[in-house]
Amino acid sequence: MLATTGMRTDMGGKPDQQRFEALWREHRGIVLKVASVYARSAEERLDLAQEIGAQLWRSFASFDERRAKFSTWLYRIALNVAISHLRRTGGEAERFEPLDDGHLETIAGEPAAEPDERLAALHAFIGELDALNRALILLYLEDRSYAEIAEVLGISATNVATKINRIKQELRGRMTAATVTGGA
Amino acid sequence: MELDEMKQLWARMELRQDGMEALLRQDFRERRMDQARAALRRALRWQALELALWLGFVVWVASFWADHRQVTHLLVIGLVLHVYGVAAIWSCATQLLLLSRIYLFDAPVLVQQRRLAQLRRFRVRSSLALGLPWWFLWLLVSTAGLVQLTGVDIYAGGSPAWYWATLGVGALGMGACVWLAHHLAGQPLRSPMLRRMVEDMSGRSLRQVAEQLDGIVRFERE
Repeated sequence: MLATTGMRTDMGGKPDQQRFEALWREHRGIVLKVASVYARSAEERLDLAQEIGAQLWRSFASFDERRAKFSTWLYRIALNVAISHLRRTGGEAERFEPLDDGHLETIAGEPAAEPDERLAALHAFIGELDALNRALILLYLEDRSYAEIAEVLGISATNVATKINRIKQELRGRMTAATVTGGA
Repeated sequence: MELDEMKQLWARMELRQDGMEALLRQDFRERRMDQARAALRRALRWQALELALWLGFVVWVASFWADHRQVTHLLVIGLVLHVYGVAAIWSCATQLLLLSRIYLFDAPVLVQQRRLAQLRRFRVRSSLALGLPWWFLWLLVSTAGLVQLTGVDIYAGGSPAWYWATLGVGALGMGACVWLAHHLAGQPLRSPMLRRMVEDMSGRSLRQVAEQLDGIVRFERE
């Protein structure tokens, strides 16, 4: 992560913009993953990522590294924009279209069909969750600590652990049911 | 598939970033990012201007009823408008306060989403409470304005029966508006503005906000 220097004071000046662009390049993957979880189509994903980028820039002047890590700050803004977008577009009730080969790149050497199927299953599972649980699972998948997830969401770390365990159990139950159904 | 297995899969997933950087650069080049900041400042300024206008309205109305306190109907009209003006000031000031707490979007997700829902609920309620009465408030404002500017009192000079009938038609119009909104709610409407008005007046918006707030509380408790 790039070093940041406390409160920004330059509202839209060049150094501010350059620093922002550098941070954006470094963290755009996070923004895209958030957009992939909350948008329903490729076009919407791009729009949402751009909307998040614009909000990040709008709020950048107030970013203070003494109060929060850059990644925590970014996740908060990205998730807040994404959840608001989902509610504004009425997407919470709708299933989103899963990511396809056009949106994903799997790692070299991996057989193409198998991981894409699993990724589609993963996205389908996430798509069934409500907006707040989507945020929770996204942060878990991003390998964030329970403490950081708690800081991003505004709940306790214990609450995070309980929720993650519940989702694990639900997923396990679902997979067992699918196996039984598939085997029958 | 276990959740931990999902995590490994997620870590290996790379989303294509074609065009993202180019789009951001283009946004910067075309000054759209600065415009985004300016738009926000404009929204806050507009809210502040609206507040100033309502303050001016209340000052005018206060001087109106103070000048005409001997004439009962003008005193009542002035007091009704005064109460309305104070309510409008309270609504503007509250929205300005709520907006100032959310515009950075950098609060913890649950805090931000609760604040957004509260702002939306307040906006819907205040726009209904302050918007619908205009079905008859226009007559009161016209009466006060005409008295102030020309000295003509349309209540005393005309027929009070006509005046009350017009107010009654306004009340009926207000009721018809709410009925129509209930009737149109859920139907596909092209205009986003009309759709929002219908959802607000039919109570759908308030139900959605209530569901959102319930969802936040459930998420915190579970």
